Amino acid sequence: MSSSGVYSCSCKIGPSILNGDLSCLGDECKRMMDAGADYLHLDVMDGHFVPNITFGATMVKWLRKKQPGVFFDLHMMVSEPEKWVDEMADAGANQYTFHLEATENPRDLIKQIRNRGMKVGIGIKPGTPVEKVLPYVSDVDMVLIMTVEPGFGGQKFMADMMPKVKHLRRNHPGLDIEVDGGVGLSTIATAAEAGANMIVSGSAVVKSPDPKSVITQLREITEKWIKQNAQQQTQ
Amino acid sequence: MRLTPSLLSADFTRLAEEVRTVEEAGAHGLHLDVMDGHYVPNLTFGPIVVAAVRRCTDLPLDAHLMIGNAPEHIRAYAEAGADAIAVHPEAVPHLHKTIADLRALAVRPGLAINPLSPLASLEEALAAVDYAIVMSVNPGWGGQRFIEGSMDRVRQVRKIAERTNPSLEIVIDGGINASRIAAARDAGADVVVAGSAVFGAADPAAAVREMLAA
Repeated sequence: MSSSGVYSCSCKIGPSILNGDLSCLGDECKRMMDAGADYLHLDVMDGHFVPNITFGATMVKWLRKKQPGVFFDLHMMVSEPEKWVDEMADAGANQYTFHLEATENPRDLIKQIRNRGMKVGIGIKPGTPVEKVLPYVSDVDMVLIMTVEPGFGGQKFMADMMPKVKHLRRNHPGLDIEVDGGVGLSTIATAAEAGANMIVSGSAVVKSPDPKSVITQLREITEKWIKQNAQQQTQ
Repeated sequence: MRLTPSLLSADFTRLAEEVRTVEEAGAHGLHLDVMDGHYVPNLTFGPIVVAAVRRCTDLPLDAHLMIGNAPEHIRAYAEAGADAIAVHPEAVPHLHKTIADLRALAVRPGLAINPLSPLASLEEALAAVDYAIVMSVNPGWGGQRFIEGSMDRVRQVRKIAERTNPSLEIVIDGGINASRIAAARDAGADVVVAGSAVFGAADPAAAVREMLAA
């Protein structure tokens, strides 16, 4: 993380394959990486923290075999995030992003994740004020600002989440800030202008007939705003 | 004796191929082990994977819900394409209602029976469902060892069914391989579920054929 106050984060595009063809997930993930994705955002839901179940560590383990070098960002929408740290680390997860709302002891959980050699992300749902995550920002690698209510793909982007992103970006220029939920070509400018640099996009990429073009455009727009925001910072 | 391979031990990155392999080898259906990490200590997959499997095959799909809040979620599995849904009675506070809800969703209702659950207390429930899964391992993980005495439990369920629900289909699930098929048939099982014995084998198609011939 930067201490010079200069916005030094780079744009990273991480498709979510939740809306892809889950009967050939290996191929879908390869398709995303071939289309220019920087990482894969894997949505783990347990039917308790959110009213849907997706998949768990077994899926991640199989994916890791097929995509050995790819960065896996595990978005853990589960009600006991402590429970899965070891399994996910063993399965090959690179980053463990837990929800602040799901744990009573974020500091211990952060330690637990680091002890297993994974990067740490903290996510907050739309209803959670950004102030709640501020005490932990300097201990984590990434903050995830949900731009939909988590649980299902294909929802509409909530632009009123942008003040959270702006607040984080203004006060933590070097922080990786991820947005997830309804992010596509019509909403990326809003997210990037606010300061998001890690872009999770689901249907917009996965269901597009030309994912490479969508990823390229998402990247161009985000990088343009990263530059613009950095220039404004130094003024 | 029908065989429904369980996808629990399959390669989750190429489910369509795995399904095709066992279907072509003669599998009669597919058993989908849904686990939420709460009712059992493993988190496998949910409705989106069931829907993905549904798109790959016309084989009957039976969803075994090892989840803590099954009644709230049966609709999602019905809509995903499950033909049959089994619930664990310990995890369902109002079993009669849940069975009725399953029937209203045009899904065959089943009861999944854990290894030490007293069968006597399930007699009435067994009369109300279409099928019963006798678990011969503790639910939660694939590749476990068969619990000795489980065939006797199949026999006992068959006896109960003869009195109260003669058309009850009895399924045995857990640690089943080719060497146990004959015993399962003798005990009165109609269907065997096999997971690691099929997908953990070097040649799943051959494993299916071997089990069908047993």
